[in-house]
Amino acid sequence: MSAPGVTPSRVAAVLFGGRSLEHDVSIVSGLQIVHALDPAMCTPLPVYIDQQLRWWIGDDLWHTESFKRGGPDRSRLTQVQLGPGFGTSQLVPVEGRNDPIPVDVFVPILHGTYGEDGAVQGLLELGGCAFVGCGITASALGMNKRLTKVLAVNAGVPVVPWKSCERSALDRGTAWMRDLSTGVEQSFGWPVIVKPCNLGSSAGVSVASSPDELSAGLLKVFEYDVEALVEPFIKNRLELNVAVVGLDEPVASVSEMPATSKASILSFSEKYKREGGKSVGSSQGMAGALRVLDPQDLPEELRLRAQSYATTVFRALGCEGISRIDFLIDGDDGALYFNEINTLPGSLAFYLWSAAPHYWTITELLNRLILRAERLRAIKRSLQRQPPPDLQLFG
Amino acid sequence: MSADLSLWAAPVAAAQVVLTWRRLLAYLRYFQQEGYDARRFVAWVGVRPLIDPAFWLVIASTWVSARPVRAAVLFTVGALALALLQPDSRRSGKITLKMTWRAIRIVTVAAVLAAALWISWVAVSAPAIRPALVASALVLVSIPFLLVVANGLLAPYETTVQQRYREEATAQLRRVHPFVVGITGSYGKSSSKAMLAHMLQFKAPTLAATGSINTVMGLTRHIRENLIRGHEYMVVEMGAYGVGSIRRLCDFTPPHAALVTAVGDMHLERFGSLENIFVAKRELAEALPDGGVLVVNADSANALRIAQTVPNRRALLYGESSSANLDTRLEGVRFTKEGTAFVLRTRSDEYECFTPIHGRPIVLNLTGAFTLAVALGMHPEVAVASFRTIRPVSNRLEVVEDRGITWIRDAYNANQYGFRAALEVAAALPVARRVLITPGVIELGAVQADVNAKLSQEAAAVCDATLVVSETNRAAFEAGHRAAGRSDRLTAVASRTDAFRWVGEHVKPGDLVLLENDLPDLYEHTEGFFWPGSHTPGDSR
Repeated sequence: MSAPGVTPSRVAAVLFGGRSLEHDVSIVSGLQIVHALDPAMCTPLPVYIDQQLRWWIGDDLWHTESFKRGGPDRSRLTQVQLGPGFGTSQLVPVEGRNDPIPVDVFVPILHGTYGEDGAVQGLLELGGCAFVGCGITASALGMNKRLTKVLAVNAGVPVVPWKSCERSALDRGTAWMRDLSTGVEQSFGWPVIVKPCNLGSSAGVSVASSPDELSAGLLKVFEYDVEALVEPFIKNRLELNVAVVGLDEPVASVSEMPATSKASILSFSEKYKREGGKSVGSSQGMAGALRVLDPQDLPEELRLRAQSYATTVFRALGCEGISRIDFLIDGDDGALYFNEINTLPGSLAFYLWSAAPHYWTITELLNRLILRAERLRAIKRSLQRQPPPDLQLFG
Repeated sequence: MSADLSLWAAPVAAAQVVLTWRRLLAYLRYFQQEGYDARRFVAWVGVRPLIDPAFWLVIASTWVSARPVRAAVLFTVGALALALLQPDSRRSGKITLKMTWRAIRIVTVAAVLAAALWISWVAVSAPAIRPALVASALVLVSIPFLLVVANGLLAPYETTVQQRYREEATAQLRRVHPFVVGITGSYGKSSSKAMLAHMLQFKAPTLAATGSINTVMGLTRHIRENLIRGHEYMVVEMGAYGVGSIRRLCDFTPPHAALVTAVGDMHLERFGSLENIFVAKRELAEALPDGGVLVVNADSANALRIAQTVPNRRALLYGESSSANLDTRLEGVRFTKEGTAFVLRTRSDEYECFTPIHGRPIVLNLTGAFTLAVALGMHPEVAVASFRTIRPVSNRLEVVEDRGITWIRDAYNANQYGFRAALEVAAALPVARRVLITPGVIELGAVQADVNAKLSQEAAAVCDATLVVSETNRAAFEAGHRAAGRSDRLTAVASRTDAFRWVGEHVKPGDLVLLENDLPDLYEHTEGFFWPGSHTPGDSR
């Protein structure tokens, strides 16, 4: 028993890496969070998930240096897996007889597929673990741009119109592409954006200005995803991002305008590499990217509306933790559109809380989120699990 | 004497261990590159151990061995310095040493052999400095051969392991039962495989190895690791290393359809005659089932002969210049910095196409892959649409803009046809000046000098400057430029490092640099083997 007033330290396992295009970005984000966790609140345990989805722990995992040149030296790490059995919440070494490591709370900092899409969240739910961030449903919905749009529209948030098509349509040849082209031309006009429905990064995204480019764009998408979205390209566009943190009530951050927003499109390298060609290998990561926080030249009404839409979308999807909601502003008519949601944004978008009115550090936010994760787990655990008599078939 | 012994024995032995280990790794890289083929490796090694500065260090130390401590200090310091100076073959060099389990086994056994050799020599002689140094010299000279012996000792074990893996792969192949497409040809196998797989992926799940896996061992590993239920197509590259090698591959992965890209005189030295090359490539067509789709490049007379001499196949012909009645004809090829525009004419239709890749041969290969994909039931329009998203293969006629300079990276090409194709693209692109860097082409037997002289003459007409790298084809290039009356445009350099230094000094934005047939380490000056080589700029492989 610990002395009264002293909270025993928790072990917080930070999961990063993963099997997605954003594996490297996740390492940078994950290590930022490892170093940002409050030592008074918890003991961080970095858990690196490699491209083969093997989980590793070890002292080397604290530094970005270890991840250069082909990744950390596995011989100096211990491979672990989530312990079997509901509610055990421990990491068990795969080989050897080392004791399992009890984990109090998991902090998934995984971007993209198999991490941000509900897959890891499902695993943690199966283990009855407490974890920070969105659950299965919100994660899975947030990864699917079409479903998010449907939910946003349903909640009264305007979105850019879209057409979607599935890769399996290729089995019927390309006649449908011509029909789609005609439809796109009539409803949207050229150019259009062609993008994967289910990816978080800019990979596979292209701008098409003709039927030929549209079909090329679709095939490019189909190398990454089985569903493609086509949207009108807003020529005079501005991007506006708002983060929302799920506390007792969802709270919106100030908005940011990525400085590259005037460019026609964010390419993967633009999105994840900073000016001067320096890659995300630096510990600053996304925080160093060029952006304008709380852009004062935007009308107050627009900023407030973006924040209100952001919390609406956050609620509509049932999000937890910190999500970043991205908007587009049509510079010609000032229309504001919800574009997409990142349920596990790079660096947890912590820089968005560094300005008035919040001035929350990422450390403070993580403390609150960990407490909330524990509370949510306890609520879920205390839900009625006793089957009613008619379901008790074996007495 | 015993006091002396304790003074020098430990440091000398330690220095010997470090140096031996480093040298083992250095030689192992080349042994690995030669596919652990002892004959080819030993031919490459030649007298190299005798020019090893470490060997001469030992000789020098033996010279002063009348003063044991002095000899020991000289050897220890010198050996450690040489060991540290030697570039790590696992990290430096164009093709690094891959520490696979097999490599680890070989180097471990070789290290044990080296230790045994050293210790037994010292043991049977007196435990004095001179026999110890003689043992060191012996070890240093025999290092490459110890690797060969180690490989020989391990051979029965390797065979057993490989046999088991092979059986597993065969069983997996039987379970999944994909439709296997075999591709062969003197050139263009890897790119054709990649392009065919690129098209077929939009039809059904397709497996194709990245890179050039074209041996039974390579395929075994590929199948065990990547082939899963659900894969409907598997595209396999079938490389011929002699008559019978494609037949062995076909026994392992029996093809249901085949593509023959070209039958030319590549690797003539290895095959002995063009007829042998023809016979070797024909094995793929022979392995097809009756009625199996056989797509051949009719522009290549010997490929066409395969279609004509193997009966009962559904032969489909493609080409550009052939006068034969073609199933797909390539027309109207135009090059831009962005890619290649062309037209494909089939028996029923005509398709306007564009692809971001460059070079006439690769577009011809694309035509072949298209013909095969359509024969397998793919919608031609989908295939054509997919051309636009084909990615250039790194260092295969890859056009890259870097700080205003247009680079044509064609380092992995190794034949005269690819060479000409690259020259054609270089000539077509709008640039200020054109610079060619190449060591020429090799493995052509008696005609090597003539072919290189011809290429040199053609290059002189296109390029404002040509840098011929290494001695191998220098004379032929000089002859070619002389014949073109352009001797002033040719510069001979010793290594690619020197060539890049020249580029740094002379090439300006708006210019084009063509990197052609960058030979594997084996044929270049072995800079960086015993000593650190200098860094090569612009080499972003």
